[in-house]
Amino acid sequence: MAVLKLEHIYKRYDNSEKKLFKKAKKNDFAVKDLSFECKDGEFIGILGPSGCGKSTTLRMIAGLEQITAGDMYIGDTRINDLLPKDRNIGLAFEDYALYPPLTVYDNLAFNMRAKNIPESEIKEAVERVAGLMKVDDLLEMKPLGLSGGQKQRVNIARALVRRPGLLLLDEPLSHLDGKMRQQLRYEIKRMHHEIKCTTIIVTHDQMEAMSLADRIAIMDFGCLQQIGTPLEVYDDPVNVFVAGFIGEPPMNLLRSAIKAVAGGYMFTFEGSELHVPVPERYNHVVKDGMAVTLGVRPVDVLIAGENEPSGTPIPVAIYEDLGDERRISVRVGENLLNLTTTDQVFYEAGDKITLRFNADKTHLFDIETGNRIRE
Amino acid sequence: MARIELEGVTRQYDRVKAIDRLSLDIADNEFFVLFGPAGAGKTTTLKCIAGVEFPQEGLVKIDGKIVNLIEPQDRNVSMVFENYALYPHLSVYDNMAFPLRSKLYKKSEAEIKEAIDKISKLMRIDAYYERKPSQLSNGQRQRVAIGRCLVRNPNVFLMDEPLAHLDAKLKHTMRSELKEMQSAFNTTTIYVTHDYMEAMSLADRIAVLDKGHIRQLGTAREMYYTPGSEFVAKLFGEPEINIVPAEYRVENGKGIASVGSGISWEVPDDVRADIEKSGAKKIDVGVRGNDISFSFEGGEGWVGGTIYAFEPIGNKTIITAQLENAQYRIVAPNDVHASLDSAIYIKMNFDNVLYFNAETEQFITRHNREEILSLKKA
Repeated sequence: MAVLKLEHIYKRYDNSEKKLFKKAKKNDFAVKDLSFECKDGEFIGILGPSGCGKSTTLRMIAGLEQITAGDMYIGDTRINDLLPKDRNIGLAFEDYALYPPLTVYDNLAFNMRAKNIPESEIKEAVERVAGLMKVDDLLEMKPLGLSGGQKQRVNIARALVRRPGLLLLDEPLSHLDGKMRQQLRYEIKRMHHEIKCTTIIVTHDQMEAMSLADRIAIMDFGCLQQIGTPLEVYDDPVNVFVAGFIGEPPMNLLRSAIKAVAGGYMFTFEGSELHVPVPERYNHVVKDGMAVTLGVRPVDVLIAGENEPSGTPIPVAIYEDLGDERRISVRVGENLLNLTTTDQVFYEAGDKITLRFNADKTHLFDIETGNRIRE
Repeated sequence: MARIELEGVTRQYDRVKAIDRLSLDIADNEFFVLFGPAGAGKTTTLKCIAGVEFPQEGLVKIDGKIVNLIEPQDRNVSMVFENYALYPHLSVYDNMAFPLRSKLYKKSEAEIKEAIDKISKLMRIDAYYERKPSQLSNGQRQRVAIGRCLVRNPNVFLMDEPLAHLDAKLKHTMRSELKEMQSAFNTTTIYVTHDYMEAMSLADRIAVLDKGHIRQLGTAREMYYTPGSEFVAKLFGEPEINIVPAEYRVENGKGIASVGSGISWEVPDDVRADIEKSGAKKIDVGVRGNDISFSFEGGEGWVGGTIYAFEPIGNKTIITAQLENAQYRIVAPNDVHASLDSAIYIKMNFDNVLYFNAETEQFITRHNREEILSLKKA
């Protein structure tokens, strides 16, 4: 069990040290000024698109990459210069890297045998982790006979065998297909629930991060964008990047010009007739003619009832019945504004509907910086 | 525009039958989706229609004419590829004009212009004639690729997983775009996919393929509300439908179904008649995640279990409840909180339960079958 702390971590792959910090361009650093703390027993997800620095971060924590600047602690120990083997971490990568000629049991026992730990102790440890990752039926098999999901379970069990203080998982589910992925997701989460080992998972799949992690750190261009619980990053994104990255179907992000009308403001859109009321709580931060990026999730776009405040009717462009839910899209200039509903509604393209936004879940973003404009 | 028929078509690679005596009748102007898991034979079927694969057995007919021995270029079929395959050095206009300028068509420039103008207006790409593909967004590129296929006015329009390589987010938008364009196609379209949402959204009719055979043929609503088998039921909907063994017995003149020791209900008369007629000895029931309600307190009518998995995924939370030997995936709002292994109580909406024969895994019935299928605009 361990607390992991990152303080102003920088990483740069080009080693021309004299230029460090001076004339640094946007992409000079793979990781830039990254600070966060992972509490004892917490499950953290590092999420971001490829090239955002998430794997680099994990490799620095593991000790496989040098840290360019900043301090990293496990508990009270500064680990910047500790060798990987002295950090007491367990590591499982996307590739399983099991020893093919050895049985699952021998694979799990390998590291401990290398340390001359007595067989009885090894047996106990192997059986413990095999139970945790549900591979106890597979102990006599060779890796060749295992499915991808089973191999990954063995791989994670091997990372756990020495009771690491910190478990690091790098895209462990990427190689697996739908069903197996879901199953292993359950197993990983249940394993964590059982042993409460501080765990960090790196992934590019927001669904995976949301379903596994207690808190998610979202990165882009080497910078931490936001860290929070799944519900926080979903409901309260700090900028356009987080808003667009989290959630599926994605949030509607539309450029809008604010227009003052009697008693408040309206969102208007270039090339479209659509007008939608601006929630009242924004009244003192918006003004007539201001351009903003409007963010609203498809579930928060609602079809207005008769006596509700609403804007102009607009034709339905697309109606899709997907069984679990129905999806309706309208054209707003060149873009589509989507709404989803689980109600049994039926429309045809061309039918007119009036829209309103769920006021509590309507977000405004600065058109230049992409940062959230708060009321 | 053409009617496409397959009669007992078999295509075999070595010993493996990719499609096995497959018969289909696709109506003129229909949007037809071939749907199934990998290796089902979807693409092979498409290739047999295109003429790039030749079936060992059976007939392929376009508008009643047998085309087994006709070369692809003479079938007047048009295919859109997954990667669009636009010529990068040509403008949008020249890309679209390319097939019409070829030896096969040799249309005059005036005719070409007319054809392109008509299609590109429908596709909303008429403003980008001078652009190169690299200067277009993904959506625009897709529209150009589709437009290029449509200008030659093909008999049949074939699309093989056109959205498969896109990431999840883009896929949603592109699928909607495609749906919007659909009315402009004005031709018979055959579309291959393994994504159930694409199939449900786009299709007039869907054929569910598995291991070279058609498992079910019908509309999206039929697939979702009255799937022909447990296999098909599991393919449509997210999270996957819960299918659990159940018992059926007659008690005091009432038909009673029960799951495990806690959940039992009286089946409606229409269901009862169908179950008894089917002669099924054992039944399975299928219930979707949004037809199960839950509570953390319980009480009258609730059945208790524990939380096996808890996954907040944004707009909803998927809770997997463990009750006796069965697991149920439940769709919950996104603001609930619960820890693993804590208590949960569930209740099913029995009206929407699907009944299957447990031995054959074939669909028996559901309540209000006709009404559900005909549910349309109020």
